[in-house]
Amino acid sequence: MFDTSIKLALTLSQIGAVMGVVLLTVAILTLLERKVLSWMQDRMGPMEVGPYGVLQPVADGLKLFFKEDIIPAGANKIMFSLAPILVLVPALIGFAVIPFGPNWTIDVMGVEFKPFVISDINIGVLYILAFASIGAYGVILGGWASNSKYSLLGGLRSAAQLISYELNVGLAIVGVLLLAGSLSLVEITEAQAGGFWNWFAFDPLPFPQFIAFVIFLIASVAETNRLPFDLPEAESELVAGFFTEYSGMRFAFFFMAEYANMILVSCMSTVLFFGGWHAPLPFLQAPGMFAWVTGIFWFTAKVYFFLFLFFWIRATLPRLRYDQLMRFGWKVLLPIALGNIVVTSVLAYFFPN
Amino acid sequence: MKLKQWIQSLIFYEILLGMKETLKHFLNYRPITLEYPHVKKPLPENYRGMLGLLRYDDGTEKCVGCDLCEAACPSRVIRVVSAEVPGEPTKRYSKEYYMDMTRCLFCGLCVKACPVDALGMSQEFEWAVYDKRHLQLNKEQLLAIGDRAFPEREKRLEFQHPNVAYFNVSFKDIPEKEF
Repeated sequence: MFDTSIKLALTLSQIGAVMGVVLLTVAILTLLERKVLSWMQDRMGPMEVGPYGVLQPVADGLKLFFKEDIIPAGANKIMFSLAPILVLVPALIGFAVIPFGPNWTIDVMGVEFKPFVISDINIGVLYILAFASIGAYGVILGGWASNSKYSLLGGLRSAAQLISYELNVGLAIVGVLLLAGSLSLVEITEAQAGGFWNWFAFDPLPFPQFIAFVIFLIASVAETNRLPFDLPEAESELVAGFFTEYSGMRFAFFFMAEYANMILVSCMSTVLFFGGWHAPLPFLQAPGMFAWVTGIFWFTAKVYFFLFLFFWIRATLPRLRYDQLMRFGWKVLLPIALGNIVVTSVLAYFFPN
Repeated sequence: MKLKQWIQSLIFYEILLGMKETLKHFLNYRPITLEYPHVKKPLPENYRGMLGLLRYDDGTEKCVGCDLCEAACPSRVIRVVSAEVPGEPTKRYSKEYYMDMTRCLFCGLCVKACPVDALGMSQEFEWAVYDKRHLQLNKEQLLAIGDRAFPEREKRLEFQHPNVAYFNVSFKDIPEKEF
């Protein structure tokens, strides 16, 4: 009983810490995205709230919190309320299996405790993919329940898009799984220990997964509904897509979910292709007791690089047309991903690690 | 050539070029926008902003109530009610002077038409109001705009045609009249 309560307290505090960090990162990202975008477009971005606009996320949060919560006439109330939760929860729940630092096990009063991963389950990748798919339900339900044409169109588009691109995400990961021989994200990261030449994206033997990484990146941009694949919420065509009718905190949930998904996808590409918490060069990793400092530092640096890449792509590319999106997903990405699996598996057979 | 194109499309060459361009702007961050309410762009000297009625330096109104501005106005903004100056039968003035600024298109024809330079266009442009009726200006309001926009009144006469400036007693250096 004592053990159980200790374990519960430890896990709950860990969940709280991770949730806090993720939501804080979401707040930072809302500002960072606007700033990075405006710097790339020769603008200043938010400058009013606080010095250089750094308190803008606080102002935005307060505004959204105090906004009126409107449920449109004719909307399905239960589904309408359920949709934002169904989007946000899967986006946050995926962080349960992401390892943020070295895979240590600490003994706290007789209870085994892993400080840098909430739960190291042996099907971590599958778990994340499964919950990412549930997130699509929220988007579709939100679009359908709003009783609005634009929302419905946005929901339908996102249904088709998410299904097409989830396939590519899954197939791009298979190469990594073949090399690591595990679905656990902790073990995948540990298989990439050493310098950057051991990361799966660059590992020369048996086969570098860089192509798979590019496919994964493109498909995950599409899965998180970011530009240039933001067809479900295309402003110029569908007002705001599936969340046209949402306001106040419900809208904020969709918004937070989008950013949380971005962070999750960045974490996944870090863990799967770029060695997770491992430093790019061995001597950049602190030895012994302080390995967790550099571990978390490198993990955060990589994640923020990918988040920057998301903004960078958004600032550069215009939105695709719908048929282009589908053609690209099914006729270009899918064959390349399949080819990557074949080549990787053949080479992994001849050059086993 | 075909191979080159093929390789370029394989490595997303054009997208990478575009990303290089955006990164260049990101690294040499030089904003071309201004923080508008705090920083304002300098307006050109002949900017056609809010209209105002002007006075002579001794404080008397310039307007003689001739109605020429009303005739010149293409959108019928101006309405002048002219009257004699009490006790001085040769002099006239505008008893009432109304401008409906909701219709004004800031063409400046009224300023050109005025023979005594009683109208001036200020540099004011921030005239957004919540009530449309606040833009129906009367004489006092127009005079107030003129007072705060042109503290030195002769200055604007430089833009005036010499023939017109001839009649203007406040203009120090009267030019030769052209015929």
